Amino acid sequence: MDTAHLVDLLLAVGMVVLALQVVSERAVLRSIILFVVFGLVMALAWTRLQAPDLALAEAAIGAGVTGALMMMAWRRLLIINPDQPADTPRGRSRVAVPVALLAAALVATIGLSALNIDPHANGAGLIALDELTDTSLGNPVTGVLLLFRNLDTLLEMAVLLIALLGARAVSTPAHPNEAAVVETSAPLVGALLAILVPLSILIATHLLLAGTNEPGGAFQAGAVLAAGGVALVLTARLQPGERPGVVTQLAVTAGLLAFVGIGVGIMAFGEKLLVLPGTWAIYVIETAMMVSIGLTLALLFAGAPALVGRPK
Amino acid sequence: MNFQDGIAVVLLIAGCFFYLAGTVGLLRFGDVHSRLHALTKADNLGLMLVCAALAVLAADWRISALLALIWLLGLLAATVSAHLIARHARRGWE
Repeated sequence: MDTAHLVDLLLAVGMVVLALQVVSERAVLRSIILFVVFGLVMALAWTRLQAPDLALAEAAIGAGVTGALMMMAWRRLLIINPDQPADTPRGRSRVAVPVALLAAALVATIGLSALNIDPHANGAGLIALDELTDTSLGNPVTGVLLLFRNLDTLLEMAVLLIALLGARAVSTPAHPNEAAVVETSAPLVGALLAILVPLSILIATHLLLAGTNEPGGAFQAGAVLAAGGVALVLTARLQPGERPGVVTQLAVTAGLLAFVGIGVGIMAFGEKLLVLPGTWAIYVIETAMMVSIGLTLALLFAGAPALVGRPK
Repeated sequence: MNFQDGIAVVLLIAGCFFYLAGTVGLLRFGDVHSRLHALTKADNLGLMLVCAALAVLAADWRISALLALIWLLGLLAATVSAHLIARHARRGWE
């Protein structure tokens, strides 16, 4: 067994052990922290499988933003009910063992049958790669997301918007200072933000532009943008607002509007639905999607319909 | 193994030693401040040594600059989070 296989084995065993601990840990906070660690190991596993796009998405969305969202949910549970820490009840559900066995059997069946699949000579993947050489896109993932299967991507944007609306419908309005967990006047906080927030915008823009030819794209860029927003919310530079202004409403729906606008507008020129007219359309849609994803995730984190600046 | 690989291996082993020491300190020390002390100092040095080893292996100015940037960002995040945790712990006790 060479070193590469040893690393793969360590990753595989580590992921299973971490996954077991995430679901069996009684303290919710420890479960959340373990979930973030699991996401980071998962990102490493995607890197080993030579899927850097997925690794970036897993690290930024799976570990980063989801972890932050769950920690904020845990904190709000504590605020709502301070006497009773949100721990999972004692004892195991009676269906736990059968469900676990079924899931293990399913994974084993899928894995074993996947081992026996021969690569098809005329598979869809090869045809898609051939078609991709006619476009100016160098990254096949972006090609699939925005050219070949762009209805899926469009609906993902719709799902994100519906998630935000759903969260707004069920969540109680957050207090202005509830989201801020650090001492906002601590000396280093201002210095950190002065570096971190411009950096998050820079990295998001880089991921967006790199996405046409290298790993990256609107989803990863939006998550990095949201991380900057989360930092601003945590330090109370941005506070939950009562009602969204026109800018917020436009920014949250920008991805969907740009996608539908270009995808349907193209029909006036005799093209089919969602046939994108060129690289410029991809840049416009990806930029709008990045803004929407970033703001939606930040709003979900703050648990508020809008974000306003700190009152002077 | 040539001279370059030798330097990288020495740097990597030194880096791993500091990571190990920092983690042992995090697990074994008694209170928040000692744990932060063990973790931040040792891990920052460990990260620097690992980044230096990778830069030696890459032998490329662009990648070396990116690795240095990664180290600086790690320093920034570790410094500020340790500072905030320490402040929070002290405020909790008083």
